[in-house]
Amino acid sequence: MREKITQMLFRVLDELNQFRPREEHLKKDLGTPLAGASGRLDSAGLINLIVLTEQKAAQELGRPILLTDDRTLSRINEVFLTLGSLADYIHLLLNEKRDG
Amino acid sequence: MDKQSYTCVLVSDFNLQNFAGYAANDPDFPDLKPVAAPLGQPVPVLLDTAAPHWQKAADLAVIWTRPQSVIPAFDALLRYEQVPVREVLQEVDAYGSLLSNVSRCVRYAFVPSWVLPSHRSVFGVLEMKSDVGLTNTLMRMNLRLAENLEKIPNIHVLNTHRWIERAGINAFHPKLWYLGKIPFSHEVFKEAAQDIKAALRGVLGYARKLIVIDLDDTIWGGVVGDVGWENLVLGGHHHLGEAYADLQRGLKSMKNRGILLAVVSKNEEQAALEAIRRHPEMVLRLEDFAAWRINWRDKAQNLLEVLSELNLGPESAVFIDDNPAERARVKESLPGVLVPDWPEDPLLSPAALLSLRCFEMPSLSREDLVRTAMYLSENQRRDLKKSVGSLEEWLRRLAIRVEVEELHPANLQRAAQLLNKTNQMNLSTRRMSEAELMAWAGPKHRRLWTLRVSDRFGDAGLTGIVSLEIQDRKAQIVDFILSCRVLGRKIEETMLATAIRQAQALGAKEVYARYVPTPKNKPCLDFFKSAAPRLLPQGELFSWDTGQPFPLPDHIELVQ
Repeated sequence: MREKITQMLFRVLDELNQFRPREEHLKKDLGTPLAGASGRLDSAGLINLIVLTEQKAAQELGRPILLTDDRTLSRINEVFLTLGSLADYIHLLLNEKRDG
Repeated sequence: MDKQSYTCVLVSDFNLQNFAGYAANDPDFPDLKPVAAPLGQPVPVLLDTAAPHWQKAADLAVIWTRPQSVIPAFDALLRYEQVPVREVLQEVDAYGSLLSNVSRCVRYAFVPSWVLPSHRSVFGVLEMKSDVGLTNTLMRMNLRLAENLEKIPNIHVLNTHRWIERAGINAFHPKLWYLGKIPFSHEVFKEAAQDIKAALRGVLGYARKLIVIDLDDTIWGGVVGDVGWENLVLGGHHHLGEAYADLQRGLKSMKNRGILLAVVSKNEEQAALEAIRRHPEMVLRLEDFAAWRINWRDKAQNLLEVLSELNLGPESAVFIDDNPAERARVKESLPGVLVPDWPEDPLLSPAALLSLRCFEMPSLSREDLVRTAMYLSENQRRDLKKSVGSLEEWLRRLAIRVEVEELHPANLQRAAQLLNKTNQMNLSTRRMSEAELMAWAGPKHRRLWTLRVSDRFGDAGLTGIVSLEIQDRKAQIVDFILSCRVLGRKIEETMLATAIRQAQALGAKEVYARYVPTPKNKPCLDFFKSAAPRLLPQGELFSWDTGQPFPLPDHIELVQ
């Protein structure tokens, strides 16, 4: 599942990069910083990332995830620190769903 | 291409950052540099034409609003308050006036039509009823806005519904709206960016003018040489036959809008022409094609010959062929020709044709509507040329008539079209919108004339422009533009004679022309070299003394 999430996020970055300035394209690497002090996304960029990730997750992982609830947004810099931290969080959400 | 990148001011009551990103990254010509005006205040932005974003020589503006933000009466309607439609339309008129202010600050403005989220369907039955239906009112608002703005030649209203339809069920995105004041999904903005760039190419004069099409398995099913014209799949009650007939209808509709059609096909010419003439379901007829090359030679070579016959460059043409190898060959040999990927499934080909974004034109002139007939007349002229002994005899027998008139609103549209499309016989290659051209010709020391050319075979329409700027008894020929359709019939000499006579009548002692080179306008330099001594030995400046009138070709009847 973890690999599937990573590939899904890479496709999210492909879409995101289509409308980001070329010099600000995000690298398809789990270490790519997203939000926070060293992050490369401004608030609009983060919103687009969230929406595209939710859409892609529903299409490709077969289960919807929610990234705009208080739980996620209260630790936004932690969840969206890097692409890898986002992948971990999605993995966690999916596991919770399965367990629940 | 006349410019590397175009500055585009974005005016909106919502966040257009995603649109800006797609527009800036789209690889097709021209490059756009979006600049956002202050967000969320479209009316103050439109009112303040002295604001910095308008002063920095913006080329174009995209003014994209939600109806409730700029038409307060519609906002009240959204709350189901009682507002007469008349009041709503008055506000639309006022908003249209605001937009007309902007038309003076930019070369071109694009205004996407207003839409309402498609999930808004609580009172579905009432939607289309007069006075109470929101959809009904919004349709009227869009029509009223489009009608008002039609009078302003550099503002174009675009159909947002098309982008919404193509984006599908998630076109309106509540989540993007509540988080980022972005009302539409990414697909909507992607479509909008592509459409607006296609529209810009159109207004800049880079629309394609010619579709060159293959025959077998492209506009009909089957190989005519193998199965005979009677057994081609076309029309009837066959699903593939219907699709091929629809593709032909699509091509014919393009022809009726001024796009030329030509055939390049590997076939026996007689067999192919017989199919076109005799098949009862054939929609396209021989007179729909401005040229054809039906033989067994290389298609790229045939295509070049067609272009030469029609006096067009590769950048004017689109090549459609079902065979990927032929497409690859043309793509490689003639990179300027647009060669779209073509669906293997013929059922998808009518939609593929009608979704091409390369034929945008900002206006339709009389010349556009009869273009194919004009090219067919050209064939008759060529036949006459072959049958007579000399160029002089040919020109005499053509009985050419040139009608000269000053620029005025009735010929402005075609004059601007010619100014923006002509490359070869073009002295300065200025590109201007209709409004800019009219404004340029406004002051008394500037004059612009158009030339309409006709002969015994037909009317070539408005095909020439010559303009003068007079200062200190010297007249500069600023524009000297002639459509390639009428080159080589001494219309050039007639234009020059007209310019010199007019300059003399306006008190000028000397007329001069400064040639501005481009990669395509050497024919213009060649003409001026033959028509006047160069003023400066190394320069590209030519001059005439108005005391010695330039001779008018004696085979031409000049009407002023």
